[in-house]
Amino acid sequence: MKMYKKVLAAALAGAMAVSMSATAFAADENGYIVKATNEDSKSSDNDLVIAIEGSVSSMDPANIPDTNAISATRGVYETLVSFDDNQELVGKLAESWEISDDSLTYTFKLRQGVKFQDGTDFNAAAFKANYDRVVDKDNNLRQRRTFIIANADGSETSRVESIETPDDYTVVIKLAKAWAPFINRLTQFCMISPAALEEYGNDIMNHPCGTGPYVCTEWEEGDHTSFARNEEYWGEKPGVDTVTIREVPEAGARTAMLQTGEADFIYPTPSDQIEAIKGTDDVNILTADSNIMRYVTLNMDLEQLSDVKVRQAMNYAIDKDAYIQLMYSGYGKPATSVVPSIIGGYEEQEAYTYDVEKAKELMKEAGYEDGFKLTLWGDNTTQEIKGMTFISQQLAQIGIEVEVQPMEPATVGDKIYVDKDEAEINMWYVNWSASDFTMDGSLRSLLYSSMCPPTSANTAYFNDADFDKDLDEGLATANEEEQAKYYGDAQKIAWEACPWLFLGNDQIIYSTKSYLSGVYVSPDGAFNFANATLAQ
Amino acid sequence: MGRYLGKRLVSTIPLLLVISFVVFMFIHMIPGDPARLIAGQDATKEDVAVVREQLGLDEPLLVQYGQYMKGLFTGDLGNSIKNGKTVAETIAPRLKPTIMLTFSSMIWAAIIGIAIGIIAAVFHGRILDYVGMVIAIAGISVPSFWLGLELIQLFSVSLGWLPTSGLETWKSYILPSLTMGAGIMAVLARFSRSSMLETMREDYVRTARAKGLSESLVVMRHAFKNSLIEIVTVAGLQIGGLLSGSVMAETVFSIPGLGRLLVDSIQLRDYKVVQALLLFFATEYILINLVVDVLYGVINPRVRYE
Repeated sequence: MKMYKKVLAAALAGAMAVSMSATAFAADENGYIVKATNEDSKSSDNDLVIAIEGSVSSMDPANIPDTNAISATRGVYETLVSFDDNQELVGKLAESWEISDDSLTYTFKLRQGVKFQDGTDFNAAAFKANYDRVVDKDNNLRQRRTFIIANADGSETSRVESIETPDDYTVVIKLAKAWAPFINRLTQFCMISPAALEEYGNDIMNHPCGTGPYVCTEWEEGDHTSFARNEEYWGEKPGVDTVTIREVPEAGARTAMLQTGEADFIYPTPSDQIEAIKGTDDVNILTADSNIMRYVTLNMDLEQLSDVKVRQAMNYAIDKDAYIQLMYSGYGKPATSVVPSIIGGYEEQEAYTYDVEKAKELMKEAGYEDGFKLTLWGDNTTQEIKGMTFISQQLAQIGIEVEVQPMEPATVGDKIYVDKDEAEINMWYVNWSASDFTMDGSLRSLLYSSMCPPTSANTAYFNDADFDKDLDEGLATANEEEQAKYYGDAQKIAWEACPWLFLGNDQIIYSTKSYLSGVYVSPDGAFNFANATLAQ
Repeated sequence: MGRYLGKRLVSTIPLLLVISFVVFMFIHMIPGDPARLIAGQDATKEDVAVVREQLGLDEPLLVQYGQYMKGLFTGDLGNSIKNGKTVAETIAPRLKPTIMLTFSSMIWAAIIGIAIGIIAAVFHGRILDYVGMVIAIAGISVPSFWLGLELIQLFSVSLGWLPTSGLETWKSYILPSLTMGAGIMAVLARFSRSSMLETMREDYVRTARAKGLSESLVVMRHAFKNSLIEIVTVAGLQIGGLLSGSVMAETVFSIPGLGRLLVDSIQLRDYKVVQALLLFFATEYILINLVVDVLYGVINPRVRYE
């Protein structure tokens, strides 16, 4: 076993040396890593093919297990409000909305003249029907958690006190308690035709019917999802006749599809594929910032990790630039706060610039001049093991001997969500992306004091009353200025306390044929093809 | 013969029961909580408890096994935890690609593999033998993942002759079949060769030669026919393996087959789907073994069924 580990370590070190020396291509200010030299290239048809890594595992927008399902359902379905390509909140099926000063009442004016794909009118009653379906416990839908809180004693509390529809095109939602992320969560609440819901019930996933720019023509999970332009669409109609989302798990195969023209858009493009693609003259490779936060949690209940000096020393001992270079060929940024810069309320913090001498000094001050031993848990993918090995090498510089323990993801979960007195966790190499882009969604389940396992994922066992208070106050107000103050304060507290090793935020990389426009990837990893156009 | 088949089929029932129990217990014993995986990393303990209850995972294991067995006999295998589709709906669309690929890979692999084996045996120790065995070793040693990607690079990207992925036309079967069949071709070549070498040393082959029969008649009618039992046994096992799906080829060529479904379902701890698939694979192997046993009698009429 030992020998095996040594061989593995040597192989990993070799792999790292290779990827460290690989040249990164810098992206320009518009996000282009590689810009097509042949811009006159034309598409041979008006059918868009998108090749993606994972599977579109659901077409029911209220029961979404992954980001690809979000992307696919957004072809057919729309929400009251949505994020535009600059991550600004804009009206979609709602023409306008107002939030009362006490942040409890949300009034939406709905867009008139919108019809579902089966001819049913979109109106306030349709909204209510969708709400009723989602909160119905028997339907067993993931989206229920947006509106219902499960309590420790098994009872439930509704976030919504009432929904009123004073006329056909006005919806008034009253919350029981102010909850700032509510409006952001509504960007995920899609409107399904009430007539179709009546007919198909939860089998609606096999009969999608929304108000969106496309009609879903076929959904074969594990293979492809097809769409045709919705000729009756109320907004600007898409430029393409059809869209096919193909599931292509192997990166090399996606690259080959783009090269041969079998695909017009591939996502993601791992950075090691850039070299292979860039020889094709009609391909653009682009990057976008992501909402992914990469970090290592430090169990502050452990004696060695209880001193803030030790935790700060560990942060100083990590070369974040080298980490980004090694893991993402340079396509990423060292973390500058406990949340990525794309999260609302983000405030840049003072960097823990790589400084081994300073780190050693802090270790000495804390009485750990000779270091100590720790274990590091994480998923057993090649990429994650590479990251963990890097962390262990960096921390070895200040005398901390880290034993890397990669595990199958579900097994990690089992070991983490245990009662506090059974917790064996030292460090966890992990990442997080808040799909609602809120500060609360980014921090509460990871650092709020009552969210320690098994309740939720505060595996640092971070416990700071001021931090908790800031999050609570931020949640209770919809006033942006006040919120900014609370959230700025919360970030500062967590950043200085170092419950984590702050690593970085990676970038999303995708590639398109130069004749395709209007398709892009959002920071949460969902792609948007509503305005796709192919030049012919 | 009919009675033999009936007896064999009935005897598979207790075997399948044992398998169903073992599979059920093993899959539930692997660490990992599907309720947590579904609810998400940030879900609270309460949220996870709600999901666990909805999935029926809060019941004692034996009760769950009882429900599962009841479902098995009433044809209700339950629903996938991923999207609520029934297990049958989840598995059915994956069957066709897997079966089509199994046969398209098996046919060429068997023809070429057995031909190489015979030629190598006939020309034992000579250049054709070495060439044949080099091909066989290459077929076994080349990782199918690598082979698949290289074939795509050559035939799709550089030459533009064949599609990179999918199964839309007959052309799309060529590259995945080549990839999946390479290893099987190699195994069959090696087995046919060794089996042929063995039979060719038998007295009856020497007698046939002594009778003055032509060499081709000796090889095909006397040696090969008697080697077939071993070859059919190996081929049967290979078909069983192919019918369980090939994760590598399915991944490289983006084919929605059973192999990828199994891996994805295990990762998600989608118990119902995993149980159904494993039981299906076990049944497959049992049936193939039965077919192979029956074929023994066809190949060699001296084999009697009792």
